[in-house]
Amino acid sequence: MSILANKETRAVIIGGVAGLNAARRMAQFDFLINRPLTVQAFVYPPEEGQQKEIYRGGELNNVTVYSTLEKALEENPQINTVLIYIGASRAYQSAKEALDSKGIKLVTMITEGVPEKDAKRLRKHAIEKGKIFNGPSSIGILSAGQCRLGVIGGEYKNLKLCNLYRPGSFGVITKSGGLSNEAMWLCAQNGDGITSAVAIGGDSYPGTDFVTYLNMFENDPETKAVVIVGEVGGTLEEEAAEWLGAEVRRIKLIAAIGGTCQEVLPQGMKFGHAGAKEGKKGLGSARSKMNALRDAGAIVPDTFGGLSKAIKQVYQELLQSGVIKPEAELDEKLLPALPPSVQEVMKQGEVIVEPLIRTTISDDRGEEPRYVGYAASELCEKGYGIEDVVGLLWNKKLPSREESEIIKRIIMISADHGPAVSGAFGSIIAACAGIDMPQAVSAGMTMIGPRFGGAVTNAGKYFKYGVKEYPNDIAGFLSWMKQNVGPVPGIGHRVKSLKNPDKRVKYLVDYVKNHTTLHTPCLDYALEVQKITTAKKDNLILNVDGTIGCILVDLDFPEHSFNGFFVLARTIGMIGHWIDQNNQNSRLIRLYDYLINYAVKEERVVPEKK
Amino acid sequence: MAKILEGPAMKLFNKWGIPVPNYVVIMDPNRLAQLGEANKWLRESKLVVKAHEAIGGRFKLGLVKLGLNLDQALEAAKEMIGREIGTSVVRQVIVAEMLEHDEEYYVSIAGNRDGAELLFSNKGGVDIEDNWDSVKRLFIPIDELPTVERITQIALEAGFVGEIAERVAKIASRLVLCFDNEDAQSIEINPLVIRKSDMRFAALDAVMNVDWDARFRHPDWDFKPVSEIGRPFTEAEQQIMDIDARIKGSVKLVEVPGGDIALLTAGGGASVFYSDAVVARGGTIANYAEYSGDPPDWAVEALTETICALPNIRHIIVGGAIANFTDVKATFSGIINGFRASKSKGYLENVQIWVRRGGPNENQGLAAIKKLQEEGFDIHVYDRSMPMTDIVDLALNS
Repeated sequence: MSILANKETRAVIIGGVAGLNAARRMAQFDFLINRPLTVQAFVYPPEEGQQKEIYRGGELNNVTVYSTLEKALEENPQINTVLIYIGASRAYQSAKEALDSKGIKLVTMITEGVPEKDAKRLRKHAIEKGKIFNGPSSIGILSAGQCRLGVIGGEYKNLKLCNLYRPGSFGVITKSGGLSNEAMWLCAQNGDGITSAVAIGGDSYPGTDFVTYLNMFENDPETKAVVIVGEVGGTLEEEAAEWLGAEVRRIKLIAAIGGTCQEVLPQGMKFGHAGAKEGKKGLGSARSKMNALRDAGAIVPDTFGGLSKAIKQVYQELLQSGVIKPEAELDEKLLPALPPSVQEVMKQGEVIVEPLIRTTISDDRGEEPRYVGYAASELCEKGYGIEDVVGLLWNKKLPSREESEIIKRIIMISADHGPAVSGAFGSIIAACAGIDMPQAVSAGMTMIGPRFGGAVTNAGKYFKYGVKEYPNDIAGFLSWMKQNVGPVPGIGHRVKSLKNPDKRVKYLVDYVKNHTTLHTPCLDYALEVQKITTAKKDNLILNVDGTIGCILVDLDFPEHSFNGFFVLARTIGMIGHWIDQNNQNSRLIRLYDYLINYAVKEERVVPEKK
Repeated sequence: MAKILEGPAMKLFNKWGIPVPNYVVIMDPNRLAQLGEANKWLRESKLVVKAHEAIGGRFKLGLVKLGLNLDQALEAAKEMIGREIGTSVVRQVIVAEMLEHDEEYYVSIAGNRDGAELLFSNKGGVDIEDNWDSVKRLFIPIDELPTVERITQIALEAGFVGEIAERVAKIASRLVLCFDNEDAQSIEINPLVIRKSDMRFAALDAVMNVDWDARFRHPDWDFKPVSEIGRPFTEAEQQIMDIDARIKGSVKLVEVPGGDIALLTAGGGASVFYSDAVVARGGTIANYAEYSGDPPDWAVEALTETICALPNIRHIIVGGAIANFTDVKATFSGIINGFRASKSKGYLENVQIWVRRGGPNENQGLAAIKKLQEEGFDIHVYDRSMPMTDIVDLALNS
């Protein structure tokens, strides 16, 4: 059996992320003992309507978040317990509402730093309502084999180590949360484990006290002995002693009391828990509590370490007197293991998961990104530049110094081409409309295609084809192109011509051919093609797209990457235009009517709809 | 729990209509001369000058001077400000009117589980402890306010008579309001004095504790709580408090000069039991420390470094219960870094470290800290099977 929490307990958690974590821990316990999910709802207004994913073993549950407790209870009338995880400034109101709710019998609060006055008022309110208000600052309540409320009991492994999957014979009541776990472990190690464990919290005025729960344990036939862990401050331990001494009690009482050190420490020294402070004239001192409990017949070891022996002794006595029947040890291997995550199983090599994507260029699983194996910082250290990173990520090769210089020039020369071209103009219109940088730059980016900047890939691709299939037959190449493709990509310009050459093309060709040792079969081929095409028409020159495409072929970059050089380079320009427009605080623009030819129908009457 | 100094307490009394003497709080003695020009009471009344600091036993230390005129008060202020008492320095003094009076009373209120208790005595002053039998009490249930008539009745029982009983009751009823509305934990006025010639009352001295957890609903609390350990906080304590205020979870530190067993313990409950175990085995602690609520590793690292730097320590107890949710691996990585940094700064010479801990990721955490042995640390590591405080026995018997 148990007290406070059992298999019928159904809870709602009021609070945000801490509450969700607790619910997940609680579901682990639900899985261990194979009971339905304890947490049936959340109340947290900022996340109203959301579903929280909670695994009970391998079973995924969605638990709804409500904006008010009233709504949560209306839709989940089975709920009888409220756990409060919300911040201290709102804890009072939440707990009061919970105590006022009809179906709620138990309210337990983990919130720390709740004002004393609020805790006192809640305690009074609970007593008037005939309900239990446990906490504040309570780690929770756990009934072995039945129910876990809060994170009490710690990690899954510990639940097993402390025999919490089945009831024992010891009750546990502590002020401290950490020591509730320790006490459960001691009961499992030196006895047969616990029935229920309750942390009442270490505040000055907890909602309940040792006596509240001692009475419950006394009435729980399965509980044969109770371990309480108290500390200096208040009078709850003295009251427990008084309770024990008042009449013959069925249960044995073992107590550990913290704070004897205060006798030799600076007066007024403050310990961890708000309630751990000595009153006037030694009232509430650890020593007076220990003496009172010993006088009433409790076993009180000198130090916490002595608790192990005390529990063992009581357990042996209870065994010998036949009060406790020794229970056959359960083979722990029969207990379910928490389903491991895919990652854990993969580590053990017991499952194969087909990857969703494959990458061959970069990896950031270590301390820093690695590009095709090279650490980014090391590339920086050794004097490599952005051109080399382009070489690595686009071509998986570190370019030579000469190659890098060519790549750098391609990017520099293509970075911008004034505000009038489609890309920059697109970005500018977006910037003037107040659009943010990524979207405005994308607007310009959208323009890149067959008529603007997007011919590099195809130019490179077909000239490469020409070099391979029509090495000494430009005419053959041109006729093949005419038949199969159309105009040769990379040839032709709207304004530039032989007489008015493109300075960028001239520079690039000169640089590559006269200042580097790069072998340039494709560029040479394109220049031969130009000779033929310009003979037909003056402006059918090798344009900048074609030039870059050919150089990239000669640099041995993959075909798919060619347009990337224009995209990358022009991004610099488009970002520049966006910043420029924003710096000038440019206003929304629209076309003037005189720039539009309105070739539309005359005004006319809309006919009646038939 | 937060004790506040007299100045802020007087300010709250004023707010709630509890009579206080005229007073000023100053840091610069020269300011007092100027205040004297502005305030008649400073020139014409007898004055008391008190160090406005959390220092226990101020009277014996000469940090309270009575019956002064303005010039003498100026001298006293000059003498006190800047005085070093142990680790603390007097930075402020409070100069108050020493009301000539006929009688001294005692009025206090303190919270308890069910509400509060109001105490009266007409034998207030320094001998109140000896006259404790004269104290009459009125229990005030939570959410209730006693009528002035009811308080008057108790005042009469306590031996106050006639108009004085009524006036004391009225002051007490305001004290109750102040207590309730300011989230106070206790207020003690001793003495409450009366000058019968003009029936003037004043709270000459007061000790007030407020609930620091309630500060979120008191926008006018412009003070900070003072140390309750009879001395101001040390620099190291203040540093840890500053970290504590910034993090999830908590780290705490109180230095105890003269001890040689340092505590680096986890959890509000367990840490106390570790201190107890040291004392019970005849040892002396060099500090009280605590980290709890799964604090970030850097905060635990800072706490570790502070503890390693405590003077003359022989042992460090890295103890804790089996944690519910504090990650042992993560918090221990902070401790390990702290130990390494301290060692490289020359600390931890001849210091033995004793570890006992359980909780989430306990195996990894314990294995990691055990590896410090290979780096030359004198460290002894135990898991959950070692009774919690028994590492203290091992340390003291080593």
